[in-house]
Amino acid sequence: MTAVTAQNRGEQYSCYMEHTIQSSCVTCDFRPNRLFCDMPAESLKAFDEIKSLGSYPRSTILFAEGRPVRGIYLLCDGRAKLSICSDTGKRLTLRVAGPGEVLGLGATLSNTPYEITAELLDNSQVVFVRRKDLMKFLREHREVCMEVVRMLSQDLHGAYERVRSIGMIRTRHARIMFHPRAMVV
Amino acid sequence: MLTPYGLDIIESCLACKMRAEHIFCDLPPAALQSFETIKYATAYPKGAVLFVEGQAARGIFVLCKGRVKLSICSTDGKTLILKIAEPGEVLGLSATVSGKPYELTAETVDPCQVNFVKREEFLRFLKEHSEACLRVAEQLSDKYNSACREIRSLGLSHSAGEKLAKLLLEWSTKNGEAAKIEPRLKLALTHEEIAQMIGTSRETVTRLFADLKKRQIVQAKGSTLLIRNKAALKAMAITQ
Repeated sequence: MTAVTAQNRGEQYSCYMEHTIQSSCVTCDFRPNRLFCDMPAESLKAFDEIKSLGSYPRSTILFAEGRPVRGIYLLCDGRAKLSICSDTGKRLTLRVAGPGEVLGLGATLSNTPYEITAELLDNSQVVFVRRKDLMKFLREHREVCMEVVRMLSQDLHGAYERVRSIGMIRTRHARIMFHPRAMVV
Repeated sequence: MLTPYGLDIIESCLACKMRAEHIFCDLPPAALQSFETIKYATAYPKGAVLFVEGQAARGIFVLCKGRVKLSICSTDGKTLILKIAEPGEVLGLSATVSGKPYELTAETVDPCQVNFVKREEFLRFLKEHSEACLRVAEQLSDKYNSACREIRSLGLSHSAGEKLAKLLLEWSTKNGEAAKIEPRLKLALTHEEIAQMIGTSRETVTRLFADLKKRQIVQAKGSTLLIRNKAALKAMAITQ
């Protein structure tokens, strides 16, 4: 899982992707309909400076559960599978994240190891922001900070919903029967 | 001086001695000052329900003293205890921020002091104080992490025995007992409540405890549990 920067190798992957690479957030075509990205112009400029852009092929693991936290990953394009793993390596898919979503936010803010694994399902364009830079950025830009809080609340709601659905059905068999979304790999 | 439920009520956040240890409360002076003006200090007896799952969010509850049981109702109507909240935690946070109904039910386990803040005022407070906003984000992340842990244990564990062993090991790391060979822990919950924490029945919990005692893995003295064979408990906690 090596990072390929858009500058040198972008062309190589861009041909696999649906959309062209958006190298600057300021001129990005996707921005208006994305919750996190649609920030005030001033914040956007600052964000543009701290982000690093990468294109990754499909099935790249952006981060793995239990690994020390590095920062957040913002999916510009493509989808990512979010899963958790038991001690013995059994996997449970939580959900599939789509374009515009911010991954690894919880771990980054609390400075704990990543709590989930994120694997790309498509050739994707991903923006990475280091933890240190992000924290500084959030301190300086209140509106973005509020948006982050809102996004975390959404994540939490989703997680509780999941707990509710898998919580009480005791056998694995029944769980799958009742909840086709619970994919046990 | 007489106080409600024998609690030593802390009226002002500015004078609170425990503030430094609590992630959320340790705010810069300016933010603390304005938090002070919007909060209501209240006391609740044991067994009081702060909010119920599905109820429209009316604000946040900062737990100052005492413990609160957070539970969730599954789709088939059973109760599952997510965690026991400790002082310093902010309850009802994500619902208040997102404007959705409360996703959990919070019930006090001990007499509690709780500081309540109304939703509109809390949101305004967050907008004005970016430092507080980051604290909130931190709290939410912690909650998200523990929700993920819960999903892992519910979705991927095999047996109730495994889950109980995990729970006991987790509890045994608290109160500075982690390094001891034979850690001691205080069981604050009934078998029924432990069953609701690991998603099984009360009968199973009682049977598992009897089995652990018979195998000399744990020893009970009243509500205190002594873990005599940590290695065996650890072996039980690993998925077969």
